[in-house]
Amino acid sequence: MKIDFSINKKPVSVDVDPEMPLLWVVRDELQLKATKFGCGRAMCGACTLHVDGEVYRSCALPVQYAAGKEVTTLEGLSTETQIHPIQQAWIEEEVPQCGYCQPGFMMAAAKLIQEIPNPSDEDIKSNISNICRCGTHPRIIKAIKRAAAIQQASKI
Amino acid sequence: MSAKANSNKKPFSRRKFLRRTAVVLGGSIVAGYLGCSPTRRYLAQTVEGMDFPAVISSMKPDFWFQVLSDNSILFKSPKIEMGQNVITGLAMLAAEELEIPLERIKVEHASTGSGIIDSLGTGGSNSTLSLYIPVREVAATMREMLKTAAAEQWGVALSSVTAKDGVLSSGDKTMTYAEIAASTTEWKTPKTPKLKPASAFKYVGKTVKRIDLQEKVMGTALYTIDHERNGLLHAITLECPYLNGKIKSIDTSEAAKMPDVVKVIQEEDLVAVVATNRYAAEMAVRKIKVEWDIPKAWQQKEIIELVTVGKGKRVNVQDKGSARSILSNSKAKVFEQAYRTPMAAHAQMETYGTLAHVENNEASIVIGTQAPGMIQGQLASALGIKKDKVDVQAPYLGGGFGRKMGRNNAAQAARISKIVGAPIKLIPTREQEFQNSVYRPNTHHVLKAVFNEQGGLEAISHDQATPDMVMKDLGGNFALSMVGADWLSAGHGASILYPVKNRSTSIWNVEVPYPSGIWRSVGIFANTFAIESFMNELAYHTKQDPIEMRLKLLKGGDEINQRMSKVLEVLKDKADWAAERKPGVGRSVAICNDRKTIAAAAIEVSIVDGAIKVLKVTEVVDCGIAINPGGIHQQVEGAIMMGISAALYEEITIADGKISASNYHEYPLATLNDVPEIQVVILENAPEPFGIGEPPLGPVAPAIAGALLDLRGKALRSLPFRLNEG
Repeated sequence: MKIDFSINKKPVSVDVDPEMPLLWVVRDELQLKATKFGCGRAMCGACTLHVDGEVYRSCALPVQYAAGKEVTTLEGLSTETQIHPIQQAWIEEEVPQCGYCQPGFMMAAAKLIQEIPNPSDEDIKSNISNICRCGTHPRIIKAIKRAAAIQQASKI
Repeated sequence: MSAKANSNKKPFSRRKFLRRTAVVLGGSIVAGYLGCSPTRRYLAQTVEGMDFPAVISSMKPDFWFQVLSDNSILFKSPKIEMGQNVITGLAMLAAEELEIPLERIKVEHASTGSGIIDSLGTGGSNSTLSLYIPVREVAATMREMLKTAAAEQWGVALSSVTAKDGVLSSGDKTMTYAEIAASTTEWKTPKTPKLKPASAFKYVGKTVKRIDLQEKVMGTALYTIDHERNGLLHAITLECPYLNGKIKSIDTSEAAKMPDVVKVIQEEDLVAVVATNRYAAEMAVRKIKVEWDIPKAWQQKEIIELVTVGKGKRVNVQDKGSARSILSNSKAKVFEQAYRTPMAAHAQMETYGTLAHVENNEASIVIGTQAPGMIQGQLASALGIKKDKVDVQAPYLGGGFGRKMGRNNAAQAARISKIVGAPIKLIPTREQEFQNSVYRPNTHHVLKAVFNEQGGLEAISHDQATPDMVMKDLGGNFALSMVGADWLSAGHGASILYPVKNRSTSIWNVEVPYPSGIWRSVGIFANTFAIESFMNELAYHTKQDPIEMRLKLLKGGDEINQRMSKVLEVLKDKADWAAERKPGVGRSVAICNDRKTIAAAAIEVSIVDGAIKVLKVTEVVDCGIAINPGGIHQQVEGAIMMGISAALYEEITIADGKISASNYHEYPLATLNDVPEIQVVILENAPEPFGIGEPPLGPVAPAIAGALLDLRGKALRSLPFRLNEG
């Protein structure tokens, strides 16, 4: 089935099984590799991306759901001229170790600081349930707070 | 020496290779570098048993460093980056002697076809320490060669040539490394130059951001699953969820009819669906009807009983004084306790998959492995081709933790590729990663101790029952039967470190029906949990402070004991041990020595809403020279989180012959909710660097156990901790 949607602000058209998870469409049909496969059951969050500005775990989201919508992956978070506060903070706090879960965490975190511009530790802990095995959690919390501060400063 | 001179394909002896070890400068090979003994030893270990010199004889003579035309240096790392930040530390060491800014060093993994891979694999927290001298020596040699070539070209004295920031100069003459490399054909190899003293280090000792940071944040870092090939097909194998199960009957006809399926492979030991996309392969494999022949439906109780002190083959690993007879004849009260650790999964975020392309009896493999050399050997025998026809490239690893030294699907992927005549991506599902994996083995420990009349520890013994972690992989059943038990890995850390006059340790090797293997920190995890939990119980029952008791015990000990004391003294200060006790908060400590790195943690816990909450962790590590303190902080933080996870949540169980956890919902890990206040302190009480990836994991679980004992007056002696168990 032919499905049209927009990815990182560019229109695309794919001809795939409408039940195919958006994850595989993004990775294998559109060749955007930042979004990762982790568990296949929407539990670990490595595949987190945005559809019409909402956070989704794309390994369990049929592509047909994205029809006519705007999909954003990590590749679309920053613009050519402006690094996203989340990515800037992730670099400043030196968050990643193996790095595999980080795109999903950053996508979840980008949405969080949009919803809660000045999140507390508790806001972060209760809103982001992604999994990391290297133990980057302490830095993720610091980086999200730093990103929120960067975002605030850029708005002033 | 020209490339041609190296192109003969005669068998290569190791000694000959060492004499001819080459550095690549501008594409021409420069041989003759010998190095001093640590470098020779490293290379000897690395090369042994690898048929390695194939890369030289096949005219692909890459060594560690190559000068690129943009005047940067390509470093082909023999060690694999899996998150532990090894490539940054190694690049820092190289930069010291290459006299080039760190940012001009590009690092990639050596592959079996290009550069030196490490036949021992990447693990055991030994990468930086084993390469501390070799990397600098080879870098210094290369710098001197560049200087010598410049002196000759300019007709000036070598002593007048300086190398700085990638530029050579003498008087008013200057040339970049790239320029001299491009214009030199005859290289001269100097004797191994003297290395810079530590006092002259530019990078070592200062925090440097990870060199893979940018790509891991921007999403451009590539893992196995991200690699592509023209005409790539996707495969999923059928795996038996039962331990040692085999196919009794199978019907793949429905699977073959599924859309986008290219082929269903049905061989005795390989059943797989190949499709044009991953989704189709996954859907089709679910349509296979299969009945399993299960030799025995193992239950958890049986697995625990198998691993019990007194069963299996006993190996004494420590016997000082006469601990056993003192303990069995003691009139004084003998303290005795038993501890258990469960089976555990690595649960790394990236499942251990392979991209394979087999064509004309040559195999090109991409696999995020800790041991490319091992994969190369396995594939050569699986495909019946020579090792030099198998190229194994390891991209970044999405976590390793020991998992990526073990059971893998590279041979399956290669066989599928050969059958369908196309490149194949075979990425296990998470269910397969959990159920068809290799596990940290469950262990059982019995500790006994008796005090003398002066209140000192008179005798102590430790018995550890454990399955093998590494011996069978290294040398098969024969090796294990020769050495009796896996004291190298599973028994690592089993011996009593405290200089008690009478101390004795035995390891009981037991057989289990599941594949057991290494897991971050290997035996240190289980043994530190048992021994240090026992020490905390001894302190509790004799009403001693757990730090003071340890300091007293360590008095008069060896160099390791002295470094342990220093770590504990600093820990006491940093953890604010003298401060007034907080109500409702328990605290304790634990310490370990993991291959000369000392790590100690002080931990505070409380019970919140009926659950264990780790409030604060102060960890002091002494890993000798701290090459990249920022990187060490990351490793310690990660080990603390993994330790909390293992102590509070993680357990693999077996029911009806099956691994019970199929996905993360059945194998919960620590999350953001579990982040305590963390303080990391680095000491440098040794003149060389030791490992840091694994050691800081050791003290976490026993310090939590001790803190719970302090809080509740009841000891928990099995992991993961369950409050209703004590």
